[in-house]
Amino acid sequence: MRPFTVLTTLCGLFLSSSTLVCADSTLSSSPVALPRDFKPPQAFKNTNLVRNTNLEKSYLRETINVVVENVDKEAQSDYYLALPSDLYAKVGVLEVRDKSAPEKGRLDVQATEIDSSRDLQYFIVHFSEPLKPSSQITLGISYSVLNSFSPRPAAVKQMDRQYLTYSFSAYAPSAYTTVTQKTKLKFPSTNVPDYTTTDLKSGADPERLGTSYTYGPYETTKVAPGSNYPITVRYEFTKPVITASLLERDLEVSHWGGNLATEERYWLRNNGSELLDHFSRVEWTLSSYQQLPSSSIRELKYALKPGSVDPYFIDDIGNVSTSRYRPGKVPSRDASLELRPRFPIFGGWNYSFRIGWNNDLSAFLRRAVDSSDSYVLKVPFIEGPKVTEGIQYEKVVVRVILPEGARNVRWETLEKVSSNGLPSASQIQADVSDHKTFMDTLGRTALTLTVDGLTDEARDSQLVVTYEYSLWDGLRKPVTITAGLLAVFVAAWVVGNLDVSIKKR
Amino acid sequence: MAESPLNVLLKGNTGRNTRGLLRIIILGTIAAAAVSSRLFSVIRFESIIHEFDPWFNFRATKYLVQHGFYSFWDWFDDRTWHPLGRVTGGTLYPGLMVTSGVIYHILRFLTIPVDIRNICVLLAPGFSGLTALAMYFLTCEMSTSPSAGLLAAAFMGIVPGYISRSVAGSYDNEAIAIFLLVFTFFLWIKAVKNGSIMWGALTALFYGYMVSAWGGYVFITNLIPLHVFVLLCMGRYSSRIYISYTTWYALGTLASMQIPFVGFLPIRNSDHMSALGIFGLLQLVAFADFVRGFIPGKHFQRLLTTMIIVVFGAAFVGLVVLTVSGVIAPWSGRFYSLWDTGYAKIHIPIIASVSEHQPTAWPAFFFDLNFLIWLFPAGVYMCFRDLKDEHVFVIIYSVLASYFAGVMVRLMLTLTPIVCVAAALALSTILDTYVLATPGPNPKAKVVEDTSSEPLRSARKPDVGITSYLSKLVVTSSVVIYLLLFVAHCTWVTSNAYSSPSVVLASRMPDGSQHIIDDYREAYYWLRQNTPHNAKVMSWWDYGYQIGGMADRPTLVDNNTWNNTHIATVGKAMSSREEVSYPILRQHDVDYVLVVFGGLLGYSGDDINKFLWMVRIAEGIWPDEVKERDFFTARGEYRVDDQATPTMRNSLMYKMSYYNYHTMFQGGQAVDRVRGAKLPAEGPQLSTLEEAFTSENWIIRIYKVKDLDNLNRDHGNAVAFDRGHKRKRATKKKGPRVLRTE
Repeated sequence: MRPFTVLTTLCGLFLSSSTLVCADSTLSSSPVALPRDFKPPQAFKNTNLVRNTNLEKSYLRETINVVVENVDKEAQSDYYLALPSDLYAKVGVLEVRDKSAPEKGRLDVQATEIDSSRDLQYFIVHFSEPLKPSSQITLGISYSVLNSFSPRPAAVKQMDRQYLTYSFSAYAPSAYTTVTQKTKLKFPSTNVPDYTTTDLKSGADPERLGTSYTYGPYETTKVAPGSNYPITVRYEFTKPVITASLLERDLEVSHWGGNLATEERYWLRNNGSELLDHFSRVEWTLSSYQQLPSSSIRELKYALKPGSVDPYFIDDIGNVSTSRYRPGKVPSRDASLELRPRFPIFGGWNYSFRIGWNNDLSAFLRRAVDSSDSYVLKVPFIEGPKVTEGIQYEKVVVRVILPEGARNVRWETLEKVSSNGLPSASQIQADVSDHKTFMDTLGRTALTLTVDGLTDEARDSQLVVTYEYSLWDGLRKPVTITAGLLAVFVAAWVVGNLDVSIKKR
Repeated sequence: MAESPLNVLLKGNTGRNTRGLLRIIILGTIAAAAVSSRLFSVIRFESIIHEFDPWFNFRATKYLVQHGFYSFWDWFDDRTWHPLGRVTGGTLYPGLMVTSGVIYHILRFLTIPVDIRNICVLLAPGFSGLTALAMYFLTCEMSTSPSAGLLAAAFMGIVPGYISRSVAGSYDNEAIAIFLLVFTFFLWIKAVKNGSIMWGALTALFYGYMVSAWGGYVFITNLIPLHVFVLLCMGRYSSRIYISYTTWYALGTLASMQIPFVGFLPIRNSDHMSALGIFGLLQLVAFADFVRGFIPGKHFQRLLTTMIIVVFGAAFVGLVVLTVSGVIAPWSGRFYSLWDTGYAKIHIPIIASVSEHQPTAWPAFFFDLNFLIWLFPAGVYMCFRDLKDEHVFVIIYSVLASYFAGVMVRLMLTLTPIVCVAAALALSTILDTYVLATPGPNPKAKVVEDTSSEPLRSARKPDVGITSYLSKLVVTSSVVIYLLLFVAHCTWVTSNAYSSPSVVLASRMPDGSQHIIDDYREAYYWLRQNTPHNAKVMSWWDYGYQIGGMADRPTLVDNNTWNNTHIATVGKAMSSREEVSYPILRQHDVDYVLVVFGGLLGYSGDDINKFLWMVRIAEGIWPDEVKERDFFTARGEYRVDDQATPTMRNSLMYKMSYYNYHTMFQGGQAVDRVRGAKLPAEGPQLSTLEEAFTSENWIIRIYKVKDLDNLNRDHGNAVAFDRGHKRKRATKKKGPRVLRTE
């Protein structure tokens, strides 16, 4: 039917289909269904629980260190980690480690299906080896929660300060009885106009020390697990609450060009206080002249790897002329891309844009030692602007476009002793598809990784992709194009030699 | 003579091949020059669609690419002309969009991922390369000299008169239409010369394409019949003309009727009647020619005279009757404005308000055509010397296009091709005369002359006159200098006058670096991101297409200007008091009002400067409510400072332009840099609108229309209450009764 399709089939004689193999997919990523009115067996006791709540960023970052004791008669390996329903849905990256053996990496955590009849929802933590009766383990649980703060007042004047509120329970949510617990709050500044005081313990509660407030310690042996004692704090937050409702990131590998092209598409929103009146240019000009702090996004600084070239910053209607690029020095200093949106983004405003740049591929790609056709690509999982207030990504889609004909694609994320900001591999949806562009005949192999609820803590995380790519794969395109052009010339020659005149010669 | 390798290349069969190759290379270079000289704006700014109309074409192209051809054909656009909507698919010339759509799909088929925007931006330069080629073919038909065609192609490639409409980003109908125009004329000349059905049919085919692409096709529709008519009057009837014209007319008319926007116009509109009339006339002439073979001369004369009178009279009466009875539409208003330059200003202010519809200033001819304009008459004269059928065509075209170009600035575009043809004819004749046609100073011939004819001894010194090397040198070098000047001029004009996207303004920072003023896109993108998808935006019609394209919001009026009353409504809302405007805004569901204000930056193309046209257009519909006189002071001045008339100061446009402007000056006196006026210390008060967004340099100001007051007060009272005025004082303050009596 179409000459090109025919060509495609002709040239695609030596093909093999690409397959995806995930590095470690021992656990299924789908949540487990629990029976109705499920109560976790009271096999454990939390001897001591310390919760650190960090409110310095635009998302909530909590670390719970808990000493767990097995009070059952048998060895136990499943610990139920409880979270209130509203929090559960918004939890970003959750990570549980054995504090006594952090080098072993994170423990397996399984999500359960949300049951709206319960107040608490559960994650199931699988210990690496069953905990013997009456022995203890110290768990380090850390997670980030997106969109957990709400601005109050919800709308302020342009020059006014912005305040956020955060509500939580004085008792850390738990499926088990907790003996002692306390909660440490870390605020971005000392300006905390409103906070709940309690009489749960003797003396002032909370205890205030600079920007950190401590609730507790409480003796909670008699408090039923899952009890709620609401606490609300309201604090000044002068920074914008930057939320990317979607980030699409494309990494395109070109062996011929020796180039790694990156393009990122952002759908940004500022979740801070909205403007009570409308935007006033006069006030904005004055405040930027005096360089007053503002809860609007004025500029985003994006640090690029040294040696990044050809950066661009465009949106739906063309180049954003207000950006600036400072190239870095090649081995060491990062380049800086200063993105200034067309207009300051106040609370409730949106801004979508795309940026992109090129890198030399040799810094990211290695040929595998053992075989000549196998390649290893190591790239950052996400990069994103570097801002002190942090960025929350509601959904991130990373697409690694490998050269045409790449197959046996495997991927993994690199683990470190501390958190890399990414969920475990089982929580990342992976998918391999074809991506046709630039005169491809087969289409390039594209690995798509989808993650929900990420924060900019994942900035330094690394993604490693290995694939096989032979010499013939590299030659396919030049051969195809040559054959195509030759066919066109031959056809032109044949048509030119046809005699179509109706005159007799 | 020794056979030098150069001679081998230049003589004989190889020589022909060499010259052919050389010609192809030259044409390729010309096309490349034509394309690249149009890329100033892409290099200087970015790949962006320019100005106003191209934004609509771009939006329509995106629609075509997204939704496919058939839904494009039936496209009813409810996001313009709110609440009326526009039957877009039936009221546009689809040629441009379909062309880009086809290119897009071909590239997609070859899996080359090109953004549709880049296709649209680069379509005009690409087609101008083709125009240069078409020009080569056309001129080659006019002249036997091989240089004429190449010169014409080079002229066409870089002449500013054409570049003005075809720089990269200027994605308008003219982008492809001029190529089609030139190529159709080439095919027509070819058809007339050969009397061939094939060329006639090809002419019709490209004529059909032209009809689908540009409203200017009427020019072809009238020029070809006129050519035939003049040929008939010159007694040059031949079967060639009969064959080519009838083929073209029959097929071309059918082709043109396929375009919904044209439809039955070719048989019902006066603009097209001449083509039909000539078609009939040609049949009669052919019949007469046929009859002449059978009847003796004297009888034939008489028969012919009577027949012509009777048929012509009958046809004319029929035409008048049909016109009066309304079957055939009379001449359109735009057509009248071609003959009477004052017509539009009185009857159709919308047409007159467009700057490109103004009569051309004389310097513009030199600006757009440079030295071609004085070679042009010489070229036309050359055509008279060698008056073949095709030369008649050039003469008619020149006369008509010269007139039209004098009437409207934009019609300079139709003049440009024929100027290039004529100038190339003239220049090639000069060059051929001086450089090539030199039988005199051939040394061999001179010897023969010397021996054979004694009386010519006086001519022994042949180094005078046109054959001398000196005169050759002088003429050639002056021509070269003129050509170089022409190239320099074209580049300068293109770079300075025609390469501004007008969406983006360039200025210089104190350190000399380029600073881009991007207020339009700032505001449009703000609208696009931070207003509901269905928020209606009211603005003057100039910005309608841009709002539709960049902000993607419904507009009340746009550059299509099909409904004068609707535009006048907007004009009335802009030029009336708030109490009058607010109900209009509410009735039209307006959420945001957008005005362009250049006072801070000194940007002169702003709404206050266009304001009088709004007033005039509104006055055309509501002469009792809006009066142009009220906006001028007693001394007849148009002022915005504290001398401004109360009507002016209370008009919505004035208020929206200057609202809060004085606060920018921090106690100093506010100055309007466009009109050089010092503004009153107290700025205007707005009660029914609130400022929603102002761009960085204040060029775009967007206002939100307030909802009805919660307490059912009127907005004036509500605002006064919020300011802390007592009701009584507020009413007192509100009542400068002078306002109403005036």
